[in-house]
Amino acid sequence: MTSPRITTSMISRNVLADLNDVSARMSETQRKMATGKELTRPSDDPFAVGRALALRTELEGVGQYRRNAAEAEGWTAASDTALGAVTDIAQRARELLLRGANGTASSSQRAAIAEEIDQLVDAAKQDANATHAGRSLFAGTATDVKPYNMASDAYAGDGGDIARSIGPGVSVVVNVRGSDTLGNGADGKLLNVLRDIAAHLRGGTPADQAALTSTDIVAIDRSIDDLLGMRAQIGATANRLSAADDRLAELEEGVRGLLSKTEDADMAATLIDYSTQQAVYQSALRAGAGIVQASLLDFLR
Amino acid sequence: MPISTFMGLHTSLRGLLAEQRALDVTSHNIANANTLGYSRQEAQLQATDALFEAGSGQLGTGVDVMAYKRIRDSFLDLQYRTQAMQVGAGTTRAGALDQAELRLGEPGDNGIAARLNSFWSSWSDFANTPDSGAARQSLIGDATTLASAVNALDDSLQTVAGQAAAKLAALTGAGGELQQIAGELAGINGAIRDAQSVGSQPNDLFDRRDLLLDKLAGFAQVSVVGDGAGSIRVTLGGAAAPLVDGATLTWPPPAMTSPGGTIGALMDLSSPTGTLASYRGEIATFAQALTTQVNAIYQPAAAADFFAYDAGTARLSVNPAVTAATVRAGAGAAGDNSAAIALSELRGKSGGPDDLYARLVTRIGTEVADARRGASNANVLSNSIEDRRQSAAGVSLDEEMTNLIRFQRGYQAAARAMSATDMLLDTLINRTGRVGL
Repeated sequence: MTSPRITTSMISRNVLADLNDVSARMSETQRKMATGKELTRPSDDPFAVGRALALRTELEGVGQYRRNAAEAEGWTAASDTALGAVTDIAQRARELLLRGANGTASSSQRAAIAEEIDQLVDAAKQDANATHAGRSLFAGTATDVKPYNMASDAYAGDGGDIARSIGPGVSVVVNVRGSDTLGNGADGKLLNVLRDIAAHLRGGTPADQAALTSTDIVAIDRSIDDLLGMRAQIGATANRLSAADDRLAELEEGVRGLLSKTEDADMAATLIDYSTQQAVYQSALRAGAGIVQASLLDFLR
Repeated sequence: MPISTFMGLHTSLRGLLAEQRALDVTSHNIANANTLGYSRQEAQLQATDALFEAGSGQLGTGVDVMAYKRIRDSFLDLQYRTQAMQVGAGTTRAGALDQAELRLGEPGDNGIAARLNSFWSSWSDFANTPDSGAARQSLIGDATTLASAVNALDDSLQTVAGQAAAKLAALTGAGGELQQIAGELAGINGAIRDAQSVGSQPNDLFDRRDLLLDKLAGFAQVSVVGDGAGSIRVTLGGAAAPLVDGATLTWPPPAMTSPGGTIGALMDLSSPTGTLASYRGEIATFAQALTTQVNAIYQPAAAADFFAYDAGTARLSVNPAVTAATVRAGAGAAGDNSAAIALSELRGKSGGPDDLYARLVTRIGTEVADARRGASNANVLSNSIEDRRQSAAGVSLDEEMTNLIRFQRGYQAAARAMSATDMLLDTLINRTGRVGL
């Protein structure tokens, strides 16, 4: 069998094509090293790029859920502080009630206590008008409205829920409505109870006296219980938010790792590739230079 | 029949002449070692007719050049042209799709995927602070940026398709490369026919014609039929009528049914049913889905559409009635954020806008990778066929050098033989019959 004829143009063409090939690979590796990315264009690995896009979306989403949770924690903390103040007021009102209900108190003393309870009502309404970043905490979704004004005990907010989204399809209601705690007019809630107490203190009839020692005590205790129940609910929401934040932080870490695995270049491997390709390129240059130059012409005399 | 005394001189002369022709052919080969499309030639030497000498048989009379043979394998030409068509189609397609892929800007911070993410995040921020002017402003800003990014992508794909159409027109239009090549082919066909009618082999014209056919094959599928008299009939892209028939050029070219090659790729890229058009169709589907899904949640809450998509002009826009002042997070009071939360949860939804867009990116990526792989495979194949072609038809300088020496020595030896005959004649003419002088 004869070996194939190798002609001059074949040699130079092949040397050139091989050099081009190696340089193209080197430029690819160089790009990986410069960007630190395995994927810079969809065609590098279409499936992996699709996956990277989905992971990036998930990562952004998780980051956003964490921001939402942090914002919700701010809201619950502010609500808890405000309700704490209202609870203190209710406790103070209970002490005053016990003092006023005592048969030894004179009518002027009772009037003074009733006066103080009126003050407490205003203080409770002020606390219930608390805001977080300019939004009313206890007005339902009517965050631009103060739930109570000093002239009446009517609730000016609405019954809406304020939710924060802390996961795909997971929303947490973060607000407590003023109407559920302080009440709306004559509905037996805190404000109504305090107004009744003040009225009974001022009234001075045996019936008033009897109410002070029986129904009023029961009512104020129930109101305090309600407030404590609300605070426990807010505390539970805060716990849920902080647990969600921890979980989201872990998830964020995991997704970030996956994304990095999908789209980041393996630097060690890339550097090794680069040195290998450099060596190949240099030997290709050397061999090419030798082959292209040599000819029978060099040896004919 | 007696044989002439001067016979030896003529035999040597024929040797001299033949070796000289062979040397000339070698020089021609060396001169064209780097000429594109050149096929090496060979002087075919053959012993001339012998003389019959009664009693002893036949006496050789020397050598003559029978033909100058062009060494080429036309079967390899056919294979090469098939691959050249693939290379033309693959390179053109890969180049244009590369452009489309580049315009996507994925994966990156400026692509539509990143814009979608900002858009969803803006809804979340708006849900957290429905009364904040900053959140409203940034939501409208992100929505507008998203819409213009979608429109810009559609525009740039249209631009790439437009470039393909312009290239196609330049190539196949009057005065374009196709017309030039076809015209030259018709001219060479005529010249070859004329040369062959007087019995000569126009080797260098054959080479030029083959080179033109190679170029033509890159543009479209070429089929070549010889007419037996040296002329060829060239049909392009499966057309019903030939583009070049002998010395006749049909212009404009007959309609191609299966063009292939660069022309086929450009036709597909610029066609309203082609690849780029189908990408634009997917962008339209994506924009339509984005509009429908966002509006389905936004409309009941705000009694207004958020996005508007005009399928006719392929334009996505934010409803001008929705501004930072009028945008709503929910149907209820100031703090109602139910719609904003629902909208923020469209992020990453299966079958949602992110999903549709990622599908488009994956599809473009896959097709670009395929096109690039196809082009590079065709290149490798065409290179290997070109190697085989060059192995047969290319000039090897080492071989020509060897031939140079061979023919030079042959010439020298023939001259020496002539000198020997000359000396015989000298003895015969000048020294015979001079006994005693």
